[in-house]
Amino acid sequence: MPWMLPTILKNFFGGPATRLYPVEVREPFEHARGQVSFNEDKCTLCGTCVRRCPAEAISMDKEKNELTFYPARCIVCEVCVDICPRKAIDLIYKWRSPFYAKPVEVYKPRGKASNKAEKEVAATHEPALNN
Amino acid sequence: MVEVTEKLWPVEVPPRVKYLRTIWAEMSRTHSHLLWLGLLADAFGFESMFLQFWRIRERVLDLLEMTTGQRVIQSVNIIGGVRRDISPEQKKICIDTLNTVRKESESLIKVLTNDYTVKSRTIGKGVLTKEQALQLGCAGPTLRGSGVREDARLTKYDAYGELNYEPVVEEAGDSYARALVRAKETLQAIDLQLEALAKLPDGEIAVRVRGNPPANEAVMRTEAPRGELFYYAKGNGTRNLERLKVRTPTFANLPSLLVMLPGCELADVPVIVLSIDPCISCTER
Ligand code: SF4
Ligand code: SF4
Repeated sequence: MPWMLPTILKNFFGGPATRLYPVEVREPFEHARGQVSFNEDKCTLCGTCVRRCPAEAISMDKEKNELTFYPARCIVCEVCVDICPRKAIDLIYKWRSPFYAKPVEVYKPRGKASNKAEKEVAATHEPALNN
Repeated sequence: MVEVTEKLWPVEVPPRVKYLRTIWAEMSRTHSHLLWLGLLADAFGFESMFLQFWRIRERVLDLLEMTTGQRVIQSVNIIGGVRRDISPEQKKICIDTLNTVRKESESLIKVLTNDYTVKSRTIGKGVLTKEQALQLGCAGPTLRGSGVREDARLTKYDAYGELNYEPVVEEAGDSYARALVRAKETLQAIDLQLEALAKLPDGEIAVRVRGNPPANEAVMRTEAPRGELFYYAKGNGTRNLERLKVRTPTFANLPSLLVMLPGCELADVPVIVLSIDPCISCTER
């Protein structure tokens, strides 16, 4: 097979094409869609991301004040990142490491409380400013 | 899906978006065909060739990840435009990598198409005549491998009207012809990307679309790697579409196996089934 010869020679002397993963991990690309992460301080549990996620990877319980994220279902489509009104969801470039058990992340959003606190702080400051 | 929904308004997207969509579509075709060429080698036991193709494919996937953020399901199109742009540095990396990929795939394709064993396993196997292909409603490389000049890209959607594009057609209708169509299309897809990258116009990458999809109907034909992908959408003025119908290429190509398989040798079944590039999840409609 004369046509294959250059490829064969290259394979002999070219070294491995693969990496020693997970010891050696490639740097993620700057805009790679690795995973999403939720910011408990900003989230107000408004439910927009829960309704819009095409993979049903997010659920919430208003009574318990909980937002549950199932990373194994998430396809990192970025929809939730785009539509969250509080910008509480961040896109992380790094890929998630492989897992044996499907992870479930439970968040306790404090966005509402901090929103209220912010408003209260603003309210207490206002008279001071007026003076 | 995005383009058919855009047609409901209709929304006119900026020229840069059209080019970017074309580039990514062709990049997907390149990696899909490289994957298929590898699988073909695998189907008749040419394992080393299989891995050689997949090694090249990995570079194309890296380009996709660099430019769109994802390797296979790019999710880069949004209604009114695209999510990501190709920066000048990325463009340079893309051009360099594509040139290398083209050179490497060309040498491998030469081996695949000239090898005695490959030929004896594919020539005359699973013959689908032109009439049968048309009658059974085949699409994509399966149809073009039987001598029909039919390709949704001829409808000049996105930037295809401005690129130098002519469908690859082979007359024989056997597994070898379908392999040749895909092999040539791999190289052609790289050429189209290079051409589109060279012509890439400046401008916006998205326009703002307001309101819900209006009450209207639209159809869209695009050429996916496996063949024509057909979308029908019907809006009713609310946030959700009333109906969305998708016809995938594998669904169209599956009946052709009824003609190709009878009377063939058992050992040829994997190669013949593979020669339509079946995507089983696409047949679940
Ligand atoms: S993450 Fe954002 S969209 Fe989701 S519930 Fe919290 S505030 Fe709403
Ligand atoms: S990135 Fe997409 S799939 Fe993942 S949680 Fe957000 S909306 Fe759901």
